[in-house]
Amino acid sequence: MPLPFLRPFTLAAALCTATALAQTPGQAAPDFALTDTAGKAVKLSDYRGKYVVLEWTNPDCPFVRNQYNKRSMQAQQKRWTGQDVVWVTINSTNRIHPEFKTPAAMASWMKAQEGAPAVLTVDGESAVARTYGVKTTPEMYVIDPAGKVVYAGAIDDGRSARHDPIAAHNFVQAALTQVKAGQPVAQPSSAPYGCSLKY
Amino acid sequence: MLTLAFVPLLSFGAPVKTDHVEAELVAERAALVPGAPTTVALRLRIEDGWHTYWKNPGDSGLATTLAWKAPRGYAISDIEWPAPHALPVGPLVNHGYEGEVLHLVTITAPTDAKPGTDATLTARADWLVCKETCIPDGADLSLTLPVATAAQADATWGARIAAARATLPQPLAGWSVDARGDGAKIALTLVPPPGAADAGALHFFPYAESRIEPSGAQTLARGDGGAYVLTLPVSSQQSGEFKRLNGVITAVNGLAAGGAHVKAATVDVPLIGTVVAGPKPTPEAVPVLNVNAGAPRVAATSMTLVAAISLALAGGLILNLMPCVFPVLSLKALSLAAPGRSDTPHMRASGLAFGAGVVVTFVALAGALLALRAAGEQVGWGFQLQSPAVVTALAILFFVLALNLSGVFEFGALWTGGGRALANPLADAFFSGVLAVVIASPCTAPFMGAALGYALTEPAAATLAVFVALGIGMALPFVLLSWFPGWRYVLPRPGAWMVRLKQLLAFPLYATVAWLAWVLGAQVDNDAVMRLMATLVTVAFALWAWRAFRGGGSRAFSVAALIALVVAIVVAWPLLRGDAVASATATTKPAAGDTTWQPWSPARVAELTRVGRPVFVDFTAAWCVTCQVNKRLVLNDASVRAAFAKRNVALVRADWTRRDPAITQALAALGRNGVPVYVLYRPGREPLLLPEVLSKGLVDDALAAI
Repeated sequence: MPLPFLRPFTLAAALCTATALAQTPGQAAPDFALTDTAGKAVKLSDYRGKYVVLEWTNPDCPFVRNQYNKRSMQAQQKRWTGQDVVWVTINSTNRIHPEFKTPAAMASWMKAQEGAPAVLTVDGESAVARTYGVKTTPEMYVIDPAGKVVYAGAIDDGRSARHDPIAAHNFVQAALTQVKAGQPVAQPSSAPYGCSLKY
Repeated sequence: MLTLAFVPLLSFGAPVKTDHVEAELVAERAALVPGAPTTVALRLRIEDGWHTYWKNPGDSGLATTLAWKAPRGYAISDIEWPAPHALPVGPLVNHGYEGEVLHLVTITAPTDAKPGTDATLTARADWLVCKETCIPDGADLSLTLPVATAAQADATWGARIAAARATLPQPLAGWSVDARGDGAKIALTLVPPPGAADAGALHFFPYAESRIEPSGAQTLARGDGGAYVLTLPVSSQQSGEFKRLNGVITAVNGLAAGGAHVKAATVDVPLIGTVVAGPKPTPEAVPVLNVNAGAPRVAATSMTLVAAISLALAGGLILNLMPCVFPVLSLKALSLAAPGRSDTPHMRASGLAFGAGVVVTFVALAGALLALRAAGEQVGWGFQLQSPAVVTALAILFFVLALNLSGVFEFGALWTGGGRALANPLADAFFSGVLAVVIASPCTAPFMGAALGYALTEPAAATLAVFVALGIGMALPFVLLSWFPGWRYVLPRPGAWMVRLKQLLAFPLYATVAWLAWVLGAQVDNDAVMRLMATLVTVAFALWAWRAFRGGGSRAFSVAALIALVVAIVVAWPLLRGDAVASATATTKPAAGDTTWQPWSPARVAELTRVGRPVFVDFTAAWCVTCQVNKRLVLNDASVRAAFAKRNVALVRADWTRRDPAITQALAALGRNGVPVYVLYRPGREPLLLPEVLSKGLVDDALAAI
């Protein structure tokens, strides 16, 4: 239901990002500032010096649910958080879309999933998704300590909402394993698959 | 809902229904012949507004799959995909199908299949069906066919499957095609055979993902020898070898290929040169037509509250001159000059009461509009005329007022303020203000559209301010006349001519009734117009009989009047009940000569703009007089039509005669809240909004700016 009084917000978000460049591997990850679901201000640049994972999510998307219902996404979050990686989960579903979730609803969903991202945020103007040119959920980015994108694309090669993600080849896990071992990322990008990002 | 979709469903040829899709396996022939191929189709009937996906789903989504379990020896081909459509989803683009789609496969029975036996083919079909939400869905389907030495075409499906096969993308016989990579672009050149008709706009759909950017613009140019040169943006995901370009090309007007005329053709050519991954399109870089995705907001920000209030004041003033209002208010003004009305304080008070009636009614309208919108209804100015009930009621009201002016009957002339009044003269003046707004409600004066469009996208306070300004503008002439007694002397002296004038002024009101009847015809159907006419005749009889009774006629006249009144209500009732009538009806039929206009949908406009065509959209409604005038005098003019054709402008008409939330949203995205709105979408540029009152010159200038 479009609410007229929200229009100025969406307009502002659109203007802010009109000149932004979308991100591809090898380029600097654009900075962004959001408020996490606990109300704390977070900035991507705060995590300079650490590896960062950006996970675009939407609890209503069956492709996302497949990753969570089979406990794969939570396992990745726990594993990498334990290795000093900052895992940022972003829901960029636009405020005017029926699937929009408030920060409180996102926090309780993530709690019920027993997920463990370091940061959980709601990007209700889809502004950060626009900056990164995100197309789907789930869609993943790995950023190195220098703030450069080293992986962009799908979570794994399963390309369905039904496969077993634990058994699939997980691109994020592969990229983080390689960079942490001082190797270049063998597959720095893949075609993301899933639901459309709800702009 | 999801759990239901995962429950395996088994069919023996009957369709399986899931939440948004009906699926079944159907065969072209009534039997399988050993060693001979036959075509079987997975038929999906997709709920309106939802879509499933092609083999390359585009920016998001998932291709439909079929996993077969057939008896030993049966050979089953992959799906032969019909040409997809480009389906915009916000700023993203999907490749898929809406409505009904047949996924064809070729099945060959083994040569040792025994005639006289039955063969059962089962398949698991999985598809993703999406609207705003995506649902992974599927069904276990089966089809049992007899094995026979010869087979007839299936009575139901034979012809439909043959037709589907005939429209599958075919190689372009007689054309020469090549693809050259240059950086992040690929030029796909298609040279038609001599004498081929114009193919119209083209769109290329690559078979493989991560080759061509689905939401990137494909631009078409014409080269030597009538060649089509389609420039394709390389995907930002492109990596590794890219040696061949293969996929499907679709053409709006079709392609001449080897004596046939096909809508879609296959392309499979070596890619000459090398390419690099293109830039990732930022969602703003593509023309966004889905308002859910932050559409271009033209003019929405270009107006301040002060400007909107000034426009509303001017619009309100001009309302006095509109044909629905002018007769009533001019008589009311003339009544001020009547003898015995020199009591200045009394006149001033009654003028202010009239003004208060006007303003309060406008505020009530604004309140109703805001409340409906807060309740999630997609409404805009003119919403009152989208209901056949309101149109009917207004037609009856105008008819009664017109009969009164014609002198068929008197009811105290309270509404013109001339003669006898209510017990409380201030209440009389107030309610004549209310009536003035009611009779003004079918009209939209110039300047009102922009002001209301602004008002309804702003907070409630600004909306109310604009409506108040509109009311003040409308009430101003009468209030000033009553306030300054001296001004009244410019009015002509009363006399017998006033009776003639009153009768003359009935005619604009009759004209308004005729127009409302036409609107009702467009909204509902011809029967509704007949019903309204019958009501009006009965109402006229009732008023005539009532007057005969009051004029000294027998009591029988009063009984006749009452009976006629009851009959009028009974006849009009199905119309006054409103929605039941509107929903049971056909859509507005395009008038003769409108064949070049396509019906509007966001997907249609997006698809046309994506293929690089300029698109002119006429947001209109039968009840909008300005719209009809523009249509007849400008848009249907031969020279304007020729100018559109010369620049290959796609003409699209959005008809808001009845409520349509999608159109209301599209108007809001353009910063408007009423019709007419004329917008020209230009490839790669901001959409251009044209003024509400069109002229040939304005359209020419707009087209020159493409």
